Formats: sequence, structure tokens, C-alpha cells
Amino acid sequence: MTFLTGPSGAGKSTLLKLAYLALRPTAGRVSMFGVDTSRLSRKELAPLRRRIGVIFQEFRLLDHLTAYENVALPLRVLGQHEKTYRDDVIELLKWVGLGDRLDARPATLSGGEKQRVAIARAVVVKPDLIIADEPTGNVDEEMGDRLFRLFRELNKRLNTTLLIATHDLALVRKAKTDVLRLADGMVVRVPAPVDASPVAPA
Amino acid sequence: MKPSLSPLLPKEDAREAALFFVVCALCFLAALSGLVARSAYSAADEWTDRVTGQITIRVRGDDAATARAVAIVKATPDIISARALERAESEELLRPWLGAAVPADLPLPHLIAAEASPSAAKAGGAGQRLSAALKAASIDATVDDHIVWSKDVKRATDSAGLVALVAVGLLGATGLAVIAFATHATLLARRDMVELLHLTGAKDTFISGLFERRFLMLGVQAGALGALLAFGAAAFILFVVKQADQQVWLLPQLSLSLADGLILGVSPLVAGIASMLAAKVTVMRSLSDMV
Repeated sequence: MTFLTGPSGAGKSTLLKLAYLALRPTAGRVSMFGVDTSRLSRKELAPLRRRIGVIFQEFRLLDHLTAYENVALPLRVLGQHEKTYRDDVIELLKWVGLGDRLDARPATLSGGEKQRVAIARAVVVKPDLIIADEPTGNVDEEMGDRLFRLFRELNKRLNTTLLIATHDLALVRKAKTDVLRLADGMVVRVPAPVDASPVAPA
Repeated sequence: MKPSLSPLLPKEDAREAALFFVVCALCFLAALSGLVARSAYSAADEWTDRVTGQITIRVRGDDAATARAVAIVKATPDIISARALERAESEELLRPWLGAAVPADLPLPHLIAAEASPSAAKAGGAGQRLSAALKAASIDATVDDHIVWSKDVKRATDSAGLVALVAVGLLGATGLAVIAFATHATLLARRDMVELLHLTGAKDTFISGLFERRFLMLGVQAGALGALLAFGAAAFILFVVKQADQQVWLLPQLSLSLADGLILGVSPLVAGIASMLAAKVTVMRSLSDMV
């Protein structure tokens, strides 16, 4: 689990977009999973994107689909039949605490609930890498903590690499991991921030 | 849990109703033009078949000359039959122009109705041979084998067919343009969704498939309704014509034959497939501009 921080406008989102292949470099080289993305054709991008789960600050759920269908979306894109994944998706929604909101549409979900659906959607294909862009930016602090616990569990249980961009310093402090800091076009690795105030053991 | 998954492409009822109407109307017009063109062709064919081989000879002279002419015509090779028309029959021919009472003292031409054998009718030239034979016997007569008429009719129906074909072509092109436009609008309206699908790892063909299926169904359904309405309109015209019991020459003599059924049956399929292809081309072209 790695955090990416930096002042607003430093280019965190752009860097992440390059990483999750929403943007391709106009100059220079971006290598993902050892592949130079600027050399890939449109067709070759899709398999690479499937190895990355993305969580957005603004959730980006499809409004006309239920929570269950939103989580199942990547599996549908892969052409899997509903019978093969149904139980897994329900299990996953239970894990994020939405076992009773399977049929709810995004309009009826709170911000925190939406983000948990989005997390479940990013995880459902068991990607090699999960990228989250300000995942706690639109939820309150308590929900932020809850989401963070989900990330940590994800990191430990599935052994998935997480790259989280945030300027929520409280979140970074709790993680106690190294932080990548982006400023003036340079990414610098800084050691885990030392906690000023003692943290109660979880 | 719901038994089935919602479609990935959300239904947009207002826009789709308008599109449905347009495709339906286009298909109706196209099917109707097809029907009209086909019936014009078959009516012309029927008429030409009827007159082919029929020869009318007008004799300028007395009854004796006419009787001689009949004998000469009968003796000519390839002529199956020949007979002089009675005065009553000639009057009957004039009735549409002169009314019921043709003056008794009106001089009428002496007419001979002859029929060439089908093989000779096909080969042509029977008229000229008759003309020559009558001239040789110094009978003043004019031979008309209706070939000039047949050619006129054929030219008229050919141009009617061409007009119908152009109309169908234009309607088809309009349909394609409308579908392409609607696809583009949907694509722009759902850009967020398309982007999300891309980031989820969807290939262009997957996204295009969503639109293709949607527009295939719309095209087939709207086309079927349009064809059904065209069938209704044709049946109505047929009914009205039959009621009037008029001799409707050449033009819309709709008969609703097998060929008509084919036109009606095929047009929804064509509408569906054309809609699908228009959607596919539009989506693939738009997607190649996106990341």
C-alpha cells in the first residue's frame, strides 16, 4: 500500500490517469506491468486495464444499475455469465457492509455507501493493482476511516498492491507506510510520517 | 434479487420513441414505394402480354375490299386468326368518346382483328409482312401491331420503377443518417459510461455491441410496424379500387402477391440490419477518438 500526496494541481490525478491508462503520454514513456503504454494499440489496452481496479473520488457508478449490477459490471464486460459470479458479488457486497442494499440504485445510496460499492467493483476481478484517486474526498471522516480499514484488509488479504492518492493527511498517518510526494513535477519517496499524537490500538 | 440484469445501455424512452417513429415512417414509405413499383411493373407486363400478337388492320374501302383483306390476312403465314369487326363492335370501341348513341350515318373505318402466333409475335415483323401482302394486292390499309404502344408502356413503367428505386434509396440513406445521428447523440450523452466501460477493460467491440443490439431491435420493430402499415395502406387502396370497379390502367393495381409479401417481410430485416450497421460504424468511429 502506497500513498501519493502532493499539493492540489501538482498532477496527482494526471499521474494516476497515466497509470490506469485513461491517458497516454504525449511524450516520454509510461511502463505498466513492464509494457510501454504509448506503444500499445487501442485493442491492446483492454487486457492491461483489466489488471487494474480503479476507485474514483466521484465514485462513477452507473445510475441505472443496482449496487449489485454495478459491482458485477467488470465481470459482465469480461463476458462472464451471471451464474458464475453471483455468489462472489453478493459475498463482496456483504464484506463492504452492503449485504442488504444489493438492489439499491446509486441515487438512494449515501456517499460512503457509493464509495463502498465502487471499492467492491474495483476488487471484483481480483486485479493486480488497485488505484484510488482521493477515495475519501467525498465522505466524512468516520466513513473515511472505515474505507481505510477496507483498504488495509484488502492489501493484507488479497495481497493486492494499492496506490492511493490523497491529501487526507490523517489517513496517511494512520497507514504508517512510505509516501510518494509529487511536487514540481518530481516524485519523491518520503518516510512514513511520525505520528505526533498517540494512536489508540485498533 | 431481480431475475435478470438491467441492460448496460439505459433506455431513453423519449429519444427512442422519436427515433422509432422516424424509422417506422421511413420503412412505411419505402415498403409502399416498393409495392407501387412492383405493381406498376406487373400491370404493365400483363397489359403487354395481352396486346402482344394482336394486330389491328384498318381498311380504307368498301365491304368487298375488307372481305378480300381478311382472306389475304388469313393466308399470311404465322397468322392464327383474322376477322372483320362488325359495325356494332366498332361502335362499342367509340363509345367512350362519343357516348351511347353513335350516329348511324357516321362513316366508320373497316377494322380487321388478327392474331399472330405467339412465336411470330415474339419475333416481330408480322405487321410488316401483312402490310406488304395487302399492298401487293393493292388494298389501301394500315397495319397496327401495338408495338409502339408496348414500347411506350414499357418506357413509362421503367421510369416509374426508377423513381421508386430512387425513392427507396433516398429513404434508406435518410434512415442511415438518422440512426447514425441518434447513435452519436446517445454516445455523447453516455460518455461517462463509455469511459467507465473502457477503464473496466471493455473492448470497443463490446461497447459497439451494446449499441448494435439496441438499434437492431429498434430497426426490426419499427420496420415491422412500418411494413404492417404499408400492407394496410396497400390493402386499403386495393379495396377502394375494387369497390369502384374501375378499369385502373397500369398504375397502382396492387395485388398483394408473393413478391409483395417478400417486400413487406424483408423491409423490417433490412431496416434492422441497416440500423445496426449504422450504429456500429458510428460507434467505432467515435470510439477511436477516445482513450
